[in-house]
Amino acid sequence: MGKFILQRLLAALVTIWIATIAVTILIHLVPGDPVRIMYGSFQTTPEELEAIRVRLGLDQPIWTQYLMYLERLVQGDLGRSIVGDQPVLDVLLTRFPATLALTVSSLFIAIVVGMSLGFLAAYKRGTWVDVGAMVLAIVGVSMPHFWLGLLLLFLFALQLQWLPVAGGDWRSLILPALTLGLANAAVLARLTRSAMIDIFDQDFIRTARAKGLPRSIVLYRHALRSGLVPVVSMLGLQFAYLMGGAIVIENVFAWNGVGRLAIEAVLSRDYPLIQGFILFFATVVALASVVIDIAYAFLDPRIRYS
Amino acid sequence: MIHSSSTVELADDLAADYAPHKRSFWRALVASPSGLIGLVVVAVLILAALLAPVIAPYDPLRMAAGPRLQPPSLNHLMGTDDFGRDVISRIIYGARLTLQIGVIAVGISLTAGLLLGLVAGYSSGWTERILMRLVDVLFSFTEIVIALACLAIFGVGLTNAMIAIGIASIPFYARVTHSVVLVEKGKPYFEAAVAAGAGHMRLIFLHLLPNVVPTLIVIGTLGVSTAILAAAGLSFLGLGAQPPQPEWGFMLSSSRDLISRAPWMMIFPGLAIAITVLGFNLLGDGIREALDPRQKER
Repeated sequence: MGKFILQRLLAALVTIWIATIAVTILIHLVPGDPVRIMYGSFQTTPEELEAIRVRLGLDQPIWTQYLMYLERLVQGDLGRSIVGDQPVLDVLLTRFPATLALTVSSLFIAIVVGMSLGFLAAYKRGTWVDVGAMVLAIVGVSMPHFWLGLLLLFLFALQLQWLPVAGGDWRSLILPALTLGLANAAVLARLTRSAMIDIFDQDFIRTARAKGLPRSIVLYRHALRSGLVPVVSMLGLQFAYLMGGAIVIENVFAWNGVGRLAIEAVLSRDYPLIQGFILFFATVVALASVVIDIAYAFLDPRIRYS
Repeated sequence: MIHSSSTVELADDLAADYAPHKRSFWRALVASPSGLIGLVVVAVLILAALLAPVIAPYDPLRMAAGPRLQPPSLNHLMGTDDFGRDVISRIIYGARLTLQIGVIAVGISLTAGLLLGLVAGYSSGWTERILMRLVDVLFSFTEIVIALACLAIFGVGLTNAMIAIGIASIPFYARVTHSVVLVEKGKPYFEAAVAAGAGHMRLIFLHLLPNVVPTLIVIGTLGVSTAILAAAGLSFLGLGAQPPQPEWGFMLSSSRDLISRAPWMMIFPGLAIAITVLGFNLLGDGIREALDPRQKER
């Protein structure tokens, strides 16, 4: 088990390391002069631009820049944003709790709704319940998340006025979390259904039934536990999707997380902030997938003991 | 080693046997409900794109084609927007952009992903390990973040968004191709071709490629829906289509501040996206069932 955790941590480190290389290269791929693009809208003289270039280290060879970047990184310095001139890490950390709250609550909604729907569909396989659940799931997969968000906003905030349009407190979290959660529940429902169908067809379930165990025990202790294994293995990816989906949904609901920040950064070409965001995102997703993999190993002894 | 050309050809024939027969494929596609509905939706989309100048009642860019913010009526079936433009005409013309997005984005990711996956899967050893590790890492960054990074490099705009989405999905296609190649490499026809002394190019392009294609057609069709959703999302965020392009995602973003006054501006473009994406999803599922009847039971 210790070896397994170590392996997963190492893989996460490799991901983060590749992200550091990617963000260093990124600024060099910008056609033209990135400094001019970034500061073009400000009143700057050629001398000032040159000074900025030196300050950002862009006058150095790329590998020197990379080493400088790493050196500052280990000190927790991700540079300063261009718009607002604040430390990038501080800006990201101030905004992150909002994104985390959104992602975790929508993951919860996705799991509860998606898995129950998928489980029900598999259990009632071939009936109208199954067909209905799967039609719902494919419609859910096909709907643009942000449109679902706008529809929910229109219905619950504007027409019925049950919930606020925006704000920042827990009540304004409900609609974005519901949007992101329901959109991803569709994916989980399809996944759970096919995993459960595989399980229901297996010998040990037939044996459990044949020896007269109560149906609830067969369902929950035998089928559900082993059916969950492949689904849980996908949760790491689901978390990454949700983090990505949050970027769009935060903008629909004016939810002040890192996703909204990222879009502002791309629109204003704030490269230090864009670089910081990509690295931050990669790190959060990599660490979350380590945590989920460890949870997965507890569920599936084959991994723990291999 | 002596290369007998006849044994190599025999192996080629064996490989060809794996390709599905055309006629039964179409019949199976139309016979499945998802395949049929998907085919119809996609056909309607293509027709709308081709015939847009004929069927659209107004010029999609013409301001004041009617009064501003008119609810749906006989003159304007889906109402008018805040500039008095006819919403249904904009949606019909938007089909052109949507198809373009699907073709360009999937074209990029399919070509690059296919090559990467083929090379990685065929080469094995260190090349494979490094390539696939890189693909896995990029995959974990998620498509939207890669697309954002690309847009940060190229600058915003619809064409750049299409390219960005294409690049962002390369890891996915590479992964799928790689896993299909691994399965195919273990099959007798491939081993026979290797034993017969077929060269690298022959093995990759004559044996592996044709057997990867069916899976990629399915993935590519489903991928069109992902690309359309992603492009609509980017346009919604202001990173893709720019005014006055009649792009559906962009139309949704301009409806945002008028939701309570003009809900039709939000409902119809969203429906257009959802139906189109659903169509490609169903078509993809239908093609999968038609290619592999065992899938039907799932």
